[in-house]
Formats: sequence, C-alpha cells, structure tokens
Amino acid sequence: MRLLKLIPAVLVYALLQVALRRDDDADLVRRLKAHEPKAMADLYKRCGRLAYSVILRIVRNVGVAEDLTQETFLRVWNRVGSFHAERGALTPWVLTVARNRAIDHVRSQDGRMEASAVDLDRLERPGLFMDLEASALTIDRARRLKSALEKLNANQRTVIELAYYEGMSHTEMAERLKQPLGTVKTWTRTALQILRTELTEAAIA
Amino acid sequence: MSCEELKDMYELYALGVLEAEEKAEIDAHLARGCVDCRRGLADALAFNAMLLGIGPAENPRRQLRHRLLASIGYERPGWFWTGVLAASLMLALAVWMGTQERERSNQLADARQQLMQVTGERDNLNQAVRFLSDPETRPASFGRGQQAPPRGYVFLHPQLGVMLIASNLPAAGAGKAYEMWVLPKTGAPRPAGLFQSDGMRGLHILAGPLDLDAVNAIAVTLEPEAGSPGPTTTPIIVAPAS
Repeated sequence: MRLLKLIPAVLVYALLQVALRRDDDADLVRRLKAHEPKAMADLYKRCGRLAYSVILRIVRNVGVAEDLTQETFLRVWNRVGSFHAERGALTPWVLTVARNRAIDHVRSQDGRMEASAVDLDRLERPGLFMDLEASALTIDRARRLKSALEKLNANQRTVIELAYYEGMSHTEMAERLKQPLGTVKTWTRTALQILRTELTEAAIA
Repeated sequence: MSCEELKDMYELYALGVLEAEEKAEIDAHLARGCVDCRRGLADALAFNAMLLGIGPAENPRRQLRHRLLASIGYERPGWFWTGVLAASLMLALAVWMGTQERERSNQLADARQQLMQVTGERDNLNQAVRFLSDPETRPASFGRGQQAPPRGYVFLHPQLGVMLIASNLPAAGAGKAYEMWVLPKTGAPRPAGLFQSDGMRGLHILAGPLDLDAVNAIAVTLEPEAGSPGPTTTPIIVAPAS
C-alpha cells in the first residue's frame, strides 16, 4: 500500500523532470517565435498536462479547463515574440499564464476583483520570466517542496490553497475563514517561510 | 517600505493577490529599478510555478491537443476527419449498393432466361402430349439397324405438323445447329426449323397444317447456326413418312 501511495508522487516528479528542463528552452522558443506549428506541438507535449492540471484544479470543470488550456497556449503563441530565448524560463511562464487564466475565469464568475484582470495580465508578461535561477527548477527541490507542504499545519495549507488556487487576497481569506486579518497574514507569511526555507536548505545541500 | 520588509510579499505579488497598498509599494520599487525587488520577484515567479507544478496531475483528453493544433492550422480539426470518414463510408456504401444492384439485375436476367427456357420446354411437352394422344398422328421411326446412329421417332399430324424426337444425338457444336427438312414427294426440300441437342436428346416441332400425302420423308442435317435455304450436308436423320 505504501508503494501505491508513492506512485502519484513519482508521476509528478517524472512529469516535472520533463517539464522543467531548460536545456531545450532556447531552441523551442526560437521555433515558437518563428511560428513553426510543430513547436506548438512540442510545447504542448512538454507543458500541456501540467497546465491543464493546474487549471482543472482551479476551475473544477473539464470543459472549462480545456477551453482555458487552449487559451493559455494561444496566449503564449501570440506573445512569445517578446520572450527572451536565451534567458527566459518557458515552463514557469506557461504555468503562470495557465494559473492566471483560470483565476481570472473564477473571479469573473464570482464577480469579484474586476480590476484584477489587468494585474494578472501584467504579471504574466514574458519579460518577467528572465533569469529565473536554474537551481530553483530542479527535481530535488520540487520533491523538497512537496515534502515541505506536508509539514504545514491545516491553517497554513488552507491559506496557501486560497492564494494559489482561488486567487484570494488576505482580506478575502479573512472573510472566508472568519479570522482576523492579522492572523491570516501571519499564517500566510509563516507558510511561505517554511516552504522557502526547505528550498534554501535543499539548494545548500 | 524597505526591500527587507517586502521580501515576504513577492510570491503574493506575483500571484496578483496582494492588497493594494502593499502592491503599490512593490510596484514603486520595481519602477525605480530596484535590483533586490527584481531578483525577489524572479525567485517568487519560479517558486510559484514550482508550487503549482507539484499538484496532482490530470490527463487532458486527446481531443484537446487536436483542437489546439487545429486552431493554429497544424492539424485538421476532429470534425474534418469525421467528415472524411463519413464521406468514405457513404462512397463505399454507394459502390456496394451499385454492385448489389448489378448482381440483382444479372440474377433477374438469369431468372428470366431460365423461365423462358422452362416455359419453352413446357410448351414443347404440351405439344408432344397433343401429338401422342391424337388418333390422327402418324408415327415413323428412324435409325434402326444402323451403327451408332441417332434413333427416334417422327410424328406427323395433318393439323399439328411434325414432331421429331431423337436420342443418341450429339451436340451440334459451336456455330452449328440441326436443321429439319420436309422432303416432298416432288420438288426441293423445305426448311422446317433449327434445333439443338443437349448431347443426348433432341426434340423439335414444326407446328402447322401439313399435307401428309405430299410428304415423302423428314430429314435432319447439320448446318450453320443461322440455318441454310437448302441442305448443305449429308442428312443425319431420314425418316420416311409412310
């Protein structure tokens, strides 16, 4: 049974191993910039499952997730012209676009934070995804991060979930959880510090 | 706020969930080219992507890939291949139906031919019964006493005409037919119709009134398939009328 429990984690790591490699990024970006259709097929092969998984976790509807995954890749296709082929990190960019498209959809459905669409759009500009440390994208660090997530207490996990997968601000979390704003901020800050510390230790080790 | 005070906020900033005042602080730092904040934001973007990437993996349906690639003109959309398949099936169905129709037509033509043959044989048999049952019929035999000849009977009737029944009669062969002749007591032989043998038997009837007193004999020769105005070969059968 313990072996069975390990299977999803192994799959995730294997997926990340494929998705997070950067060696081929520059060539793939150059082909995407040239609008070679085969490059889109390669990009989807590399990031399609990850992007879809992130989106589905947020919108919880297969049809909507498919629409938003398509929108994500078309957005990357149309904006890759200003992406830096040598210094850019492709997979983090695709995942960020995927998450933001899904959060934007959920927010528009909920009728909240109408001005946030502009912010999300600004936060997925290709120029931001330059010089991301290569060491931040290793399989070992992903494994560490997953293990660190399990060390968080229930409140800390909840606020991370609400920020990443429901796109909630501290104020919205406080309202949802019926907790003081300061308490929610502390939970969030502590959770992120624990996760960052695990990653830093992994990088040193 | 200082960069030190902002360092715990980069992830939430990158997620677009930071409160307006805190967001404005980081915006200001970035706008003036703050190196620490730029580095912090880059690390936060990588961190967030990794956190998103370690969630449970789900498999999208295969159609999604086709749909995406079709939208940039790389692959035909799914409905295109469905249409091609449907058109192919319809074409195959049309060809199959055409073949079936041709086969049915051929079968129908064969059935008509068989029916005509059976009808002809039935008419001949009816006619034969009439010949054999009528007291005015005058029989005559032929072939007796000869070596391996066709043998049989000729039946003459003043109203019904002549009926010839032959056994041991070989098939006429390709392009040939047997022709019956009425040999009058005076004058040239008169053509009395063409017939074939099934290899063993031959049956031929010349229907119509006949002056039996003027007939000397009935003869059969082997002729071209279209027949001849007069005998061109030695008679195979000669049956005297009296």
